[in-house]
Amino acid sequence: MSSSIIELKNVVKRFGGRVAVNCVDLSVQDGEIFGLLGPNGAGKTTIISLLATLLVPDDGEITICGFNLRQEARRVRPLIGFVPQEMGLYPTLSAWDNLAFFGRVYGLHGSNLRERVTNVLGLVGLSERASDPVQTFSGGMKRRLNIAAGLVHKPRILFLDEPTVGVDPQSRNFIFEHVERLNEEGITIVYTTHYMEEVERICDRVAIMDQGRFLALDTTIGLVNRLGAGVIYLGLPRASSEPLLPDVRVLSQVLTATEEKGRLKIETRNARLALLELIELCNARNVSILSLEMLEPTLESVFLHLTGKRLRD
Amino acid sequence: MKKIIALTWKDLKIFLKDRGGVILIFVQPFMFILIITYALSDVFSAGDHPVHILAVNQDTGTQGAALLDQLEDMKAFSVETSWEGNDLTIQKVERLIIEGKRTFAVIFPPNFSIVLEQGLGTRERLTTKVLLIVDPNTTNQIAEPVLGTIQGLLERAAYTAMMPKGMGDLFTHLGDSTSTTKSGSPRTGLEEKGGRGRVEKQEPAVTVERIAPTGMQGRKLPDVYQQNVPGYTIYGIFWIVNLLAVSVLREKREGTFRRLLVAPMSRTIMLIGKWMPYYLINIIQIAIMLGVSSLLFKMSLGHSAGGLIIVSLAAAAAATGLGVLVASLARTEAQISGLTVLLLLTLSVLGGCFIPRFIMPEWLRTVGLVTPHAWALDAFQDLLVRGYNFWEVLPKVGVLGAFAVIFFGIGVWRFRFE
Repeated sequence: MSSSIIELKNVVKRFGGRVAVNCVDLSVQDGEIFGLLGPNGAGKTTIISLLATLLVPDDGEITICGFNLRQEARRVRPLIGFVPQEMGLYPTLSAWDNLAFFGRVYGLHGSNLRERVTNVLGLVGLSERASDPVQTFSGGMKRRLNIAAGLVHKPRILFLDEPTVGVDPQSRNFIFEHVERLNEEGITIVYTTHYMEEVERICDRVAIMDQGRFLALDTTIGLVNRLGAGVIYLGLPRASSEPLLPDVRVLSQVLTATEEKGRLKIETRNARLALLELIELCNARNVSILSLEMLEPTLESVFLHLTGKRLRD
Repeated sequence: MKKIIALTWKDLKIFLKDRGGVILIFVQPFMFILIITYALSDVFSAGDHPVHILAVNQDTGTQGAALLDQLEDMKAFSVETSWEGNDLTIQKVERLIIEGKRTFAVIFPPNFSIVLEQGLGTRERLTTKVLLIVDPNTTNQIAEPVLGTIQGLLERAAYTAMMPKGMGDLFTHLGDSTSTTKSGSPRTGLEEKGGRGRVEKQEPAVTVERIAPTGMQGRKLPDVYQQNVPGYTIYGIFWIVNLLAVSVLREKREGTFRRLLVAPMSRTIMLIGKWMPYYLINIIQIAIMLGVSSLLFKMSLGHSAGGLIIVSLAAAAAATGLGVLVASLARTEAQISGLTVLLLLTLSVLGGCFIPRFIMPEWLRTVGLVTPHAWALDAFQDLLVRGYNFWEVLPKVGVLGAFAVIFFGIGVWRFRFE
């Protein structure tokens, strides 16, 4: 990791009255794999579209490799590769023809073009299917070719927008390995997903997004540590929860306790010991427990903790 | 430029892989030409609307006016002796035909009545000609009934004019009085003189001569292919609208436009690259249609290769321009199909691709002028039938160019890449 290669300062993007990206600040380091994690509609694709020069921010500034996107988008474009969420491929053309076309669009030709197409086809394991029409490929193969098309011109930065949607586990692993290998070759990668395990596996740092905002930005370990030793959600009768709250807060294993949507949300020092204390307290006060949920410290529970909803809601 | 070539080559490859599209664009209009041409070659007629005939009556007697009255009384014809309040002259009617406003004009000479009413036994027989000026771009199937009608009225007029001279003379000499000639296919008609059991040749006193306006070089009448091939070619090339618009929609839907927008390439280059292959397809289409028609049907292509090229380029620009416009307006394939069929069939009919415009009501002919089809068809027929040269078709090329600019202008303005 070295200097910052992507900078976002107070970036805002609106679509009509809806704010898709709301005052986002971000700095991505050269050579890192950066993850944007969030549910559908969180604003991930809007951010990646802004970074890929497809959209212009309404407010704020974006800089990539030192070039301001507002004024110097043309200088940025040869430096970036973009893998859209949908298959950005021509289904009736062969894999080779697709890659050769995108290579020509980036100014490659002759032996240089042939060499690059051969290399990226090999990289994504499609050399033997080079002359087959893309429409005959499986979903996983199309996804791999989709990535190859973003790599054919050797970009410094690769934007991957949900590249594993609809892909079988085997192809997904294949894609992870390629992303890691590309990163080892020095390519900076910005990766959007709503799959927690993908972020945990390949990303150096992660921003958790919801409703156009960054709720947290850290390494995966850093994010998990934010949850302490776990969170307990305790459902009680409406009349009992508020009177019980002061007693909960003074329990030895409880860090914080708040009432949230009719439940008590309790951050703990040790989730299991705290649970025992809570059950004893409820028995002593003769308060029945209506529901109980214990979140282990994982990225999933961090997300739930931060947004109040599950990632795939 | 290399990027435009790359975009063009890519789309041509995609087009060629779509066999249905290839068949649609090349074979369908050709099938129309073959089937409809053969099917209608014997029954092509003017339809229910009256045929407008301009008339210049120089006759000093009453026969010319009487004959025009009889023509007017027939429901099939509408005789016009003035234009915009002014009496017609030969120069004026020729100009109106050249401008495509009318197709037929009949000219009665000053001595028409004198010749028609002369005695059968006159020692020095007078002769004269009634001129029927016909737009050369008129099929025989349409021109012949007009010619035949005028000829029939002339025969009757001759009969009536001679009645006072006595039935004996009439039956002896009626056959001498009228006949018709026309360039290309002379009508011998009643050329035999009957009398005392022997046949004697004598020139008819009044003949009808079919001619083209003085301003038109082409004297050769169009054959059925020269009439139909340009019409169906124009109709066919405008189907590119559907191919182009669907291709644009697929690029949007499949995300390839998004990918290209990230590439170091301006949106103008993208649009040119998207339009260019379809423009080339249109040019090839026209070349094949005219070339094959020339070879198969021995259809004349006129005398101006440069004229054919410039009209083809302009017509293709208008067609592909309309494609860009439809692509910018339609949001789904269903919209494209609906819009294309509606636009193309309407414009083709109004533009005269299926039915010659001159047999349409006048208001419809005026409406037809707002279609690129009418101008393209007229320009092609100027070259193929009327023998115009490069410079003479330039005004119509200019109009086609204006259509292309308007279509492109609105299309580019409304175009959305995503």
